[in-house]
Amino acid sequence: MTFGYHGAYLRIDVSQGLVERVPLDEALLRQHIGGSGLGVRLLLDAGAAGMDPLSPEAPLVFAFSPLVGSPLTTSAKFAVVSKSPLTGRINDSLASSGFAVAGKRCGGDAIVIVGRAPELSVLIIDEGKVRLEPAGEHRGATCRATEAALKARLGADYRVASIGPAGEHLVRYATISHDGRHAGRGGSGAVLGAKNIKAIAVRGTQRVEWAHPLELTAMSRDLSKRSFGPATAKYRELGTATNLLTFNRFGALPTRNFQSGTFDEAVNLSPEEMSTTRSKTRESCVTCTIGCEHIYGIGNGSVRVEYESLFALGSLCGVGDADTVLRASQRCDELGLDTISTGGTIAFAMECVERGWLDEPWLTFGSGDALLRAIELIGSRHDLGDLLAEGSRRAAHAIGHDSIAIAPQVKGLEIPGYEPRALQTMALGFAVGARGADHNRSGAYEVDFSDKVDRRHVTLDAVRHAIETEDKAALMDSLILCKFLRGVFDDFHAETADMLRRVTGWDVTADELRETATRIVSAKRQFNLLAGWTPAEDTLPDRFLNTPLPNDAEASLSRERLDDLVNEYHRQRGW
Amino acid sequence: MHVEFLGVPRERAGVAELEVPAETLGQLLTTLAARIPSLRELIVMDRLHPAFVANLNGDQFVSDPSTPLAADDSVLILSADAGG
Repeated sequence: MTFGYHGAYLRIDVSQGLVERVPLDEALLRQHIGGSGLGVRLLLDAGAAGMDPLSPEAPLVFAFSPLVGSPLTTSAKFAVVSKSPLTGRINDSLASSGFAVAGKRCGGDAIVIVGRAPELSVLIIDEGKVRLEPAGEHRGATCRATEAALKARLGADYRVASIGPAGEHLVRYATISHDGRHAGRGGSGAVLGAKNIKAIAVRGTQRVEWAHPLELTAMSRDLSKRSFGPATAKYRELGTATNLLTFNRFGALPTRNFQSGTFDEAVNLSPEEMSTTRSKTRESCVTCTIGCEHIYGIGNGSVRVEYESLFALGSLCGVGDADTVLRASQRCDELGLDTISTGGTIAFAMECVERGWLDEPWLTFGSGDALLRAIELIGSRHDLGDLLAEGSRRAAHAIGHDSIAIAPQVKGLEIPGYEPRALQTMALGFAVGARGADHNRSGAYEVDFSDKVDRRHVTLDAVRHAIETEDKAALMDSLILCKFLRGVFDDFHAETADMLRRVTGWDVTADELRETATRIVSAKRQFNLLAGWTPAEDTLPDRFLNTPLPNDAEASLSRERLDDLVNEYHRQRGW
Repeated sequence: MHVEFLGVPRERAGVAELEVPAETLGQLLTTLAARIPSLRELIVMDRLHPAFVANLNGDQFVSDPSTPLAADDSVLILSADAGG
C-alpha cells in the first residue's frame, strides 16, 4: 500500500467520454511528490512539450498531493499543469479549496484530460466514473454562475472547476476557477476551453490512508497553532494588498506600463484606505487557518482582491479609483481572466496608443472607462480585444514599431507587480523563470527585502539566494502547501520531510527534499528545452535594461549585469 | 531619528511615523517595544521578529542590533514577506 496516495491517475479522453486508471510507480511519486512536480513529470512522459497546447492531444493535468485530504492547514490545493498557450512553455498554476479534496477522492492522484468533446460539455467525475453532459445552457456564463448552477443541479457534494467566457473564447490567459479562486496564470482556461469543456464536476468518497495518523494529527494541531503568529500577520490583517504602499515607498510599484515605480494615487487602492471607505470581510480556503482572502464591498456586490490585481488594473494602467479597480478585478473573475496578464496587456496597449503606434484613442492611461471597456473586449475577443487576447508579446509583434521593447513580459508571461530595476534579485528570478515572469515560482523578492543584497545593485552573490527561493517554491508547489505558510517553519526542509514521513511512511530526509526540489525545477527546464527554449529567452525586455527609473537614478540594471547574473544562475544550476 | 511604519507594523503602532531617540538599531527597537506595547509581538529582545525587517533611509535593509543610527536617519519597519 502507498500511504497518502491512490497509486494511480485517471486519464480521461473527453473525445469519447472514457476513463482509464493508470498506475503510478511509488518511486516516481517519491521523486516528484505531487502537485507541480507530478504534473510536469506526467506531461514529460506524455510527450506534451512538442504539442500544440490547444490541440486535442495536449494533456491538461489536475495534480493533487499526498497532503490533500489531511488536516494540515493550507493543504487543500491542486496544481493545473499543461503547456501554456500564452508562452509555449511549461505552465503550472495552483488553486485551492474543496475541488482538491473532492477530486482526489475520485480515486486518482491526478486527473489527466485529453481529447476534445464533440460539443461544449460538462465533464462529470463521480467516484472515478465519468460522463459528459451538454453545457450549452452555460455558454457565456460566468465562472461563479456556472459553478452555482451545476451544484444546484448535481448536488451540494459536488465541487466544480470552470472556465468563463474568456476560456470559451480561448483567450490565451484565461483561467480555471473554483469557488472564486483561480488557477490563474498561463492560460489553462484556454486549454480546457479548447477541449470544449466548460466545467469539471467531481464527487468522491475514496480516501487514502496515512502512515502515522496520530503523529500527523499532532503535527497538524501544532502547525495550525503556529499559523496564527506574526509570520502570517500580514495575510490575516491586511492581505497581500499591504504590498501596495510598501512598494510605492520603495519605488518598486510598477506604474503606467513600468514607466515609473511610484504612483501618486496608490493610497486610494491601499487596504488601509479601502477598509475605511467600504465593507470588508475575510474568508479562507477549506482547511486553511490563515484566512488571507480580503473581500471588499463594491456597488453591486463584493470582490476578493489581491495585490497583483490592484497593481495590474490600478497603477499599471494609471487608474487610481478604487471602485473602478475593484470592478475591473471582479469582471476579470467573472470572465475568467488572469488579472496580471490582463492589466499588463492593456497597459502595454495604452502606451502604444500614447506613442502613436496603435490607433485606439479611447485607450488612455488613467481612464477607468477604457480599462473596463478593454476587459470586456478581451473577454469576448471583439475588435481590439481579439488582438489583446493574444497577450502583450503577440500583440507587440502585430503592432510592430519595436513595441516588443516595452511589452512587459518574459517568455510571453506578463510581469507581476515588482519593478525589476528596484528589486534586482527578483529581476533575475523573472528572467530565468520556467513559466516566464513569475513571483510565485521565484521568491527572489524576499532576498531584495533583506540585508543579504543591495536590491538596486545586486552582485553574483544574489544568485544562490534566488536559486534557494526557486527550489523552495517548487517543493511547496509539489507537497502542496500554501506559500503564505512558509514563514512559520523554523527549518523548512526538516519539518516538511517529517510531514511527508508521517503521511507516507517514507524515511524522507531534508537532503532528499532538497534534491527533489532541484529535480522538479530541472524537469521544468527539460520540458522547456523540448518545447524549443533558447538561452535568449532568459532575459528582460529592453525597457528594463540600461534605463533607470525616472524617480530613482540608482534603480538601473544594465544588460551586461543581467547577463552575468543569468549566466551565473545557469552555472550554479549545472545547466 | 525618524521611524516610519508600513503595513502590519503601522496597524499595530497606530501611527504611520514618529520620532525616537536612538543610537543603534537595537536601542531603537527596545525603545519602541517599551513605548508601544502593541509592537512587542514584532520585537524580540533588541531584534525584529523574522517576519519583519528594518530599512535604513530607503536604501539598505538592516538587522544587526549594533547598526549605528544618526540623528537624521530614517528607519522604515515593514513585513519581510513581500509575497502576494
